Amino acid sequence: MSHIKIKKGHDIKISGIPKSDISTAPTASELALLPSDFRGVKPKLMVKVGDNVKIGTPLFFDKLNPSLRWASPGSGIIKDIKYGPRRVIEKIEIELDKDQQGLDFKSHSMNDISNLSEDEVLDVILGANLFPHFRQRPFNTIPDHKIRPRDIFISGLNTAPLAVDLEIAMADEIENFQAGINAIEKLTDGKVYLTNKVDSKLSDVKNVNINTIEGPHPSGNVGIQIHHISHLKPSELIWTIDPQDVVMIGKLFLKGVYDPSKIISVAGPGVKEPTHLRVKTGYPIKSILKSNLSSDNVRMISGDVLTGRECTLEDYMSFYDSSISVISNEINREFIGMLNPGSSSSRYSLTPVFVSLSNILFPFTSSQNGNHRAVVPINSWERVLPMDILPNELYRSILAEDIEEMESLGLFECDDEDFALCSFACPSKTDVSGVIRKGLDMLQAEV
Amino acid sequence: MKWLLDYLLKIKPNFDEGQKLNWLYPLYEATETILFSTDAKTKSAPHIRDSIDIKRVMILVVIALIPCYVFGAINVGYQNALSFGFERTWIENLIFGVKTIIPIIVVTFVAGAFWEILFAIVRKHEISEGFLVTCALIPLTMPPSIPLWQLFIATSFGIVIGKEIFGGVGMNIFNPALTARCFIFFSYPSKISGDMVWLVGPDGYSGATALSVPASTSNADAVSLLNGITQFDYSWINLASGWIPGSIGETNKFIIFLAAATLMLMKLISWRVILGGVSGLFAMSYIGNLIAPFSDNSMLSIPPHYHLVMGSFAFGLTFMATEPVTGSHTDTGRLIYGFFVGVLTVIIRSINPAYPEGVMLAILLMNAFASLIDYFVVKVNISKRMARYA
Repeated sequence: MSHIKIKKGHDIKISGIPKSDISTAPTASELALLPSDFRGVKPKLMVKVGDNVKIGTPLFFDKLNPSLRWASPGSGIIKDIKYGPRRVIEKIEIELDKDQQGLDFKSHSMNDISNLSEDEVLDVILGANLFPHFRQRPFNTIPDHKIRPRDIFISGLNTAPLAVDLEIAMADEIENFQAGINAIEKLTDGKVYLTNKVDSKLSDVKNVNINTIEGPHPSGNVGIQIHHISHLKPSELIWTIDPQDVVMIGKLFLKGVYDPSKIISVAGPGVKEPTHLRVKTGYPIKSILKSNLSSDNVRMISGDVLTGRECTLEDYMSFYDSSISVISNEINREFIGMLNPGSSSSRYSLTPVFVSLSNILFPFTSSQNGNHRAVVPINSWERVLPMDILPNELYRSILAEDIEEMESLGLFECDDEDFALCSFACPSKTDVSGVIRKGLDMLQAEV
Repeated sequence: MKWLLDYLLKIKPNFDEGQKLNWLYPLYEATETILFSTDAKTKSAPHIRDSIDIKRVMILVVIALIPCYVFGAINVGYQNALSFGFERTWIENLIFGVKTIIPIIVVTFVAGAFWEILFAIVRKHEISEGFLVTCALIPLTMPPSIPLWQLFIATSFGIVIGKEIFGGVGMNIFNPALTARCFIFFSYPSKISGDMVWLVGPDGYSGATALSVPASTSNADAVSLLNGITQFDYSWINLASGWIPGSIGETNKFIIFLAAATLMLMKLISWRVILGGVSGLFAMSYIGNLIAPFSDNSMLSIPPHYHLVMGSFAFGLTFMATEPVTGSHTDTGRLIYGFFVGVLTVIIRSINPAYPEGVMLAILLMNAFASLIDYFVVKVNISKRMARYA
């Protein structure tokens, strides 16, 4: 066990912090899976409109890897399947019934789990269609279950702005979490790494290699933790999984059920009462936000404000997201704004050029706060990237499409979410994280 | 001011694609975004953005230059009075200086804006705020007696050759303001190479600059030479506080130091370049001092703290060498880059017999080498990573 101190980075002081108790979500009449959430997957449907499904019934599989299937998060009737351009499956909507029956799986005691073999664990997870909860580094895609990972990494803390507080979400789930850890531990020859904050409720978990980390965002990003604990080398694979998904797997083994519920945060300056909610995977945005918006002109985001996806009231939460953020869409056009000195009541900046009054929480809007310009390297990216990576050079190698250079500059260790703060802080309003993703896609196509 | 915004938005469709006035769109965009902060919204994640933008960065650098202008104006008047033997209050000095400087500023901005707008229209890109800084810097590097036509040509050269032909701000290799200065330096060398003092004085009035005093005398100690000059006060404290003839904005080192400190605190310029530059200057001039007893070159005997306040080193290092685009882009690179700016300044000053001042050439030379320094810094970073991967 070691303690990691992160200095570079920044905790964005955005208003609308969720309060620390868990409310019950307004009931939803439908849930949906969005196959577009999964990069690099070619979905093939296993159900059609009108079919009856139970919780856990597979809805679609990946044509490239047919044993990879996605479980239905609810029981009921397939209401609609929406297609996008070129008949890409966008949404599979399930109209929920009253009794919410689930498929039954074999339950295990804690001891049983410890005695399972690797193949048995994999069979249970694949059989319950929960394997998509794993993701791999590099590239942050769903891994191939046939290739063993070097290690498995779990980040026990969220540092993204307004993210769900895992200390709250995990408080009553320690036993299920332990069961999940005992199971997935079998899937690697290496170790399972869990990175917590100091004095976390998860610090007594067994069978894992626990490290503690402190420092501003992105210290909670699993990519940053991998970088500081055990470098990812180009030929290696690491699996990552969210702690709430480990709980899901734990419940599958202990109780023999697929419980698709998780705790999310509903927060941001555009939310009337920011809070934590217990919802199911693929929950409709309408049910979560309808009576909780502070105005009509807002931007709703599935995920956090740095990496999330813009959505509408008719939309559903993305598969991996555990927060809903809302910011105002109203932009005040200041007269001669470029000369107005500005204080922390009207401006928020990482570069200390404005008068800072105090640690007030800032009501961010969807304003870009400036127009796109050529990059002027005043180190705004470097100051928020706690990795031994030269972001400027990496960015340029991607623009130049120089695969070899990207690789040697360490793109394998990067993910776009780690660079979101760079885009946030950039005075030229450059989409750094978007370019990093483009580079990763190029690199992935190459290997 | 809502009526103005409403009016601007009303006429905006005239500049859209396919409309008659579309070619003027960059000008419209500049007007709208200078008058009103932008209404651009984020299109993808991250959905929120920092309040800083390039306009703010550039305008802050321009604001940091204002004290240099004010002192420069007073000093231009003071030097003028001194050369004629007048007695004048500082207010009168300021008024005289402002009258001298205003035409210089106007000509620079007219020339700069003309080329910037022309290129924006022809190449269909936004008007970049960078030209504000360039045009604010150019007058400060010029002698107050500069003929305006020379200034116009120099500014045009700086903006076009120094910046626009590379694609504008962010793509240029050489600092455009220094390119303009360099153009004047080599085109009209008899007036501007730094042998003779620059001031608005009587015809035929002349004197040696602080740097050319030791340059023109052999086998002497520089400090005692400087102290022996009676025409101007070349003591250390007066060189630092700037009551000497020179280019408009570079004489007062205290004001420049304050500007540098402010910009460093705001993290708009890199402290590494400044630290590197001052260390380079000190190291090289110290070496010069060691060699001085064995040489007849009096320049070698200038002590480090004199080098710091002589000529335009402080101004060049603060406002020119720290320019983020043309300097090194890596942190280690910035230290090395700054260090060699300092070293080369002393070498050109001391060893090159042609030019008493060397900071401009040192910075331009290092601009050319900045990418090479970065190249090696990146190579080191890569080989360290490869060692970890192996």
